[in-house]
Amino acid sequence: MGIMNLHIKNGIVIDTKNGIKAEKMDIFVKGGKIVQESEIEGDVKVIDASNKLVVAGGVDMHAHIAGSKINSGRTMRPEEMRIVRQTAGKLRTSMGRVLLTSPAIGYEYAKMGYTTSFEAASPPIGSLHTHEELDSIPVIDKAMLPVFGNWHLVFKYTAEKDTEKMKALIAWAIERTKGFGVKVVNPGGVEKWMYGGNVTSLDDPVEYFNVTPREIITELVKATEGLNLPHSVHLHCNRLGVPGNYETTIETMKLVSGFKNDERQVLHVTHVQFNSYSGSSWRDVGSGADEIAKFVNKADNITIDMGQPVFGHATAMTGDAPFQFNLHKLLGAKWINKDVELETGAGIIPLVYLPKNPVHAVQWAIGLELGLLTDSDKVVISTDFPNGGPYTKYPYIMAMLMSAKMREKEIANASPYIQKATNLPSIDAEKTLEETIHMTRALPARILGLQTKGHLGVGGDADIAIYDLNPLEVDPSTEYEVVEKALSTPIYTIKGGEIVVKDGELVQEVWGRTYWIDAMSQVSTEVIEEDLDDYFTHYYTIQRYNYGVEEAWLRAPEKIVVG
Amino acid sequence: MMVLKPKTDFAVTVEAEITPELATMSVEEASKFKVYHGREQVSLGELFEITKEGDDKKLVLEGDFSRVKWIGARMEDGEIIVKGSIGAHCGAYMKGGRIEIEGDADDWLGAEMSGGEIVVKGNARNLVGCAYYGDMKGMSGGRILIEGNAGNYIGEKMAGGEIEIKGDAGDFIGTEMTNGVIIIHRSCGFAGGDMKGGEIRIGGEFDLLPSFKKGDEGYVGDINVGGKGVIRQI
Repeated sequence: MGIMNLHIKNGIVIDTKNGIKAEKMDIFVKGGKIVQESEIEGDVKVIDASNKLVVAGGVDMHAHIAGSKINSGRTMRPEEMRIVRQTAGKLRTSMGRVLLTSPAIGYEYAKMGYTTSFEAASPPIGSLHTHEELDSIPVIDKAMLPVFGNWHLVFKYTAEKDTEKMKALIAWAIERTKGFGVKVVNPGGVEKWMYGGNVTSLDDPVEYFNVTPREIITELVKATEGLNLPHSVHLHCNRLGVPGNYETTIETMKLVSGFKNDERQVLHVTHVQFNSYSGSSWRDVGSGADEIAKFVNKADNITIDMGQPVFGHATAMTGDAPFQFNLHKLLGAKWINKDVELETGAGIIPLVYLPKNPVHAVQWAIGLELGLLTDSDKVVISTDFPNGGPYTKYPYIMAMLMSAKMREKEIANASPYIQKATNLPSIDAEKTLEETIHMTRALPARILGLQTKGHLGVGGDADIAIYDLNPLEVDPSTEYEVVEKALSTPIYTIKGGEIVVKDGELVQEVWGRTYWIDAMSQVSTEVIEEDLDDYFTHYYTIQRYNYGVEEAWLRAPEKIVVG
Repeated sequence: MMVLKPKTDFAVTVEAEITPELATMSVEEASKFKVYHGREQVSLGELFEITKEGDDKKLVLEGDFSRVKWIGARMEDGEIIVKGSIGAHCGAYMKGGRIEIEGDADDWLGAEMSGGEIVVKGNARNLVGCAYYGDMKGMSGGRILIEGNAGNYIGEKMAGGEIEIKGDAGDFIGTEMTNGVIIIHRSCGFAGGDMKGGEIRIGGEFDLLPSFKKGDEGYVGDINVGGKGVIRQI
């Protein structure tokens, strides 16, 4: 089909970044970008969007879509591959129940009106594998976040309190991995897991390195802010999945109280649902969502995403290997454990969220509480795919946040334990359609520092979703079924100016870009040369010249230069 | 009752997920039922001669069905009589009804079945009543009776029901089983690896794993996984 000029006519546009609240207007597209009407000349394809919702393509800022972790999960779960979503024809075969094949990942995002997704945790040494897989995902734009929180070199510079070296390491590592930002997973805890342990607080020392989680987080935030990367530190907190952990989460958020950035948050705390538990064991677990939401609402430098579980099949996969071991002991299910030399670890385990299971119901309720109680400008919709379930359920989560009536119906099917352990049943707040659009478009784009995503202003990428929903007429509070269905099946998904989905069906396969950040001009890597050579000579299993990914190896790299 | 006869000898396998439900259709309707012949999707009528006698929910398969897979998969009631041998996955995921095989059965007989009965007059091959790769649970109910011998992997991850083998069986009997009963009248190889519950009764000789303890009822284990399964000599 090729890139053509588009005129999207008479749609009802919601574009929160540009202050457009359900207004009837036309959108013009040329060369994959959104332009002024006056720039359009020659042939134009007109799309009649009368009485339809027109929004930017969705942005998933935290999902596990590529890399050794998800691939190990696929290997461990052949049963997942018995669900065939589409047989090969014009497009490729796509398979998987929640653990999708690479083509399925791109197709399913597009079929929901999403056009960007970030792989949220990649071991730096495994970045080539991650990019190979990202390059196999059609349609969407993507990027990946290398993990830093348990890297021996990070420990070293944390202990030395040497911000210049830390900055050099981060810039060097992001360049080598063609990564996008600084992901931190259970800092210190995964290293302790190499000896069978974990951290129980921010002040537990990591043996042999003389650092604590508190210091690691602080030093990484300091360096990331020093480099002024587009995205802040992206943190998976300590004590994930442990009853009583909400206090640790709040204490962690307090660590950045002294940092400020005019453009964005200084800390993004991810899949917070898994870190919002009160109580002392799974017998008396309850919700700490209220306190977390209060703290986030008051702070002006923190954002979160939900990590909402949805009932049904899921696969837990995270760099937080000790947590995965606990889950394995709890469920008795098959389990993979990984130790990534000098850098990180990982664990993978299948699970099913059951509405009648009190713990699962509490997790489900806490996710929704976070979504409802936190300012819409600070909380992003996510399932931490595939940990909380498939991202294809985002429309369900959006509908749930918009309708107390829908929640009431769903709560009736869930374990009654949530009545006493969470506040969800008593919350009657409802997000507006505009707010949920913000939480899935402009907000994640802003948090990631993507200027051309999440909005429909001139200069933005022509990533557009058109849904069969008239925001001026629909009442999401009562018509939640209509809303969920409409948001699940866009009439059009347009990626970079090309129509990829029409009436909920894929019509063609296009290939998106891989964003990566180059901050090398801001640092002198000379300060870490000696350490790098020492580590690669003495400790890594590979040589330094074999480490990393060259830009030319990527299908469609897009470098963003910082500084 | 509906009778199916292959029109030719199949050079490649046929995947035909037919159940006694077919016998409730007219011959014309049944002929249109879609099956796979190798990689080609074809109509049942192209591969088989179909005749109908009366309305009872019963299928009779005459001739060589040893290359026809998935017969009786997911069936819920009614009866299938196989006059000769049957291909792989016969009675997989079966919930109810009865399958009688006068000849031999191929691999994956009654895999993950939860109810109903399968009787094999001849021998069965491997993976009887097992879980499909990756799944947590094998056979969970119903009964499989094999008059002859069976191969390796019998009742892997079995969670209920009964498998009875009149002859010998191979290795890996009741691996990871949690419930249900496996009866082998003659001999078999290793039995009960990682079994957590249920019972294996063996008439002849078998190889006992070192992770079983002799108790009053028989050998209890597998202690490697804290199992309370029992292997008992008949």
